[in-house]
Amino acid sequence: MTKITQKQLIESLKQFKEIKPRKEWAVLLKSQILTEKETVIVSVPAKRINFMDAIASVFSQRKLAYSFAVVLFLIVGVFGFAQHTVPGDLLFPVRKVAEQSQAALTGQSGLKQSVANLNNRINDLVQVAKEGKKANIPSAIDEIKTDASYLTKSLKSSKTENSQTIKDIVSSLKTLADVPGTDLTATPAIKGLYQAVVQSQIVDLQETTLADEQKETLSQAIELYNQGKYTEALEKILLIGK
Amino acid sequence: MTDSINEQFGQIYDQYIDKIYRFVYVKVDSQEVAEDITSKVFTKGWESYQNQSSEIKNPGAFLYQIARNAVVDHYRDKGRTKTVSVDVSPDIADPGTNAQDMAILSADVSNIKKAMQKLEKDHQDILIWHYLEDVPIADIAKLLNRPAGTVRVMLHRGLKDLKNIIQES
Repeated sequence: MTKITQKQLIESLKQFKEIKPRKEWAVLLKSQILTEKETVIVSVPAKRINFMDAIASVFSQRKLAYSFAVVLFLIVGVFGFAQHTVPGDLLFPVRKVAEQSQAALTGQSGLKQSVANLNNRINDLVQVAKEGKKANIPSAIDEIKTDASYLTKSLKSSKTENSQTIKDIVSSLKTLADVPGTDLTATPAIKGLYQAVVQSQIVDLQETTLADEQKETLSQAIELYNQGKYTEALEKILLIGK
Repeated sequence: MTDSINEQFGQIYDQYIDKIYRFVYVKVDSQEVAEDITSKVFTKGWESYQNQSSEIKNPGAFLYQIARNAVVDHYRDKGRTKTVSVDVSPDIADPGTNAQDMAILSADVSNIKKAMQKLEKDHQDILIWHYLEDVPIADIAKLLNRPAGTVRVMLHRGLKDLKNIIQES
């Protein structure tokens, strides 16, 4: 172009009005810029971290991980060690917590859990007596009384107890009765449990068709029950089942 | 509050993206460079806007100032002179001219752009604002912080210089 008028030049310049950025680029840039704020805020501290900070951060994270591992190890160790404790030991409450947690996780019903708890405490007493840990015997007995009371309440409030549950209770009571030097049948807690078991069995047997001989035995069991001789009444009831 | 600032800057972006891109595009040698610089302009603008939105009374002037500095930085960083090759010719048409003029003008767009880049920076800016963006002389005077009469003279001189550069090429 060798010659151009001012008007043509102005018209040429105005052609540049049609210049526009690529639409997709403009849209992308806008979204990048407007969403960058959060990124900037997050990345600013990161830019300030120098080499020493990074090392400290790694050690700090490791320290945290080690602390966590130690705590975890201690927890596992305490729970593991507590499994071998008996009533009267320092860590016995931990064992009880573990048992309750386990029962909750396995979805055991209140009655079954009470039966299992009593059985565990009776086994503890057996172990304490066997190992001659005289100092632990009072605690073991107290635990049995407590769990027997809970089981009695559970048994009275439960309407769904089955024969297996009763068998388990009877078995535990037999085991308890066999522990040398610890006759607990006269204690209110154990006596109450015997009463509850016998009462439950009498009700069941009265609704069952029995032979004449069995009926006679049941009558004797009821009589013993009324006299407050629950252990003897239970022995009679067990004869009916045989 | 954050959403409000986002929305405000989003509106400013929509209003000025074409203008700033054009402003930059005329001064540099390629679409890629224009996009890169425009991107920097709005990114920097957004960073400043988040901290001092209440102090920015004229977003247009604010962005144009960033753009002017960004173009200067671009040439300084690249160690280039203002004489640069033009490798992209915009696909544009001017509905305001007849067919013969349009053919002449379209063919010469690259030359005009090249010639524009040889002008003084202030002359470039004034020509772009006045003829490309239809900014009144009074507003350009405010953008440059100069008297309107001076701007008018600079506009006339810039146009004359541009014409001479084109005719000498």
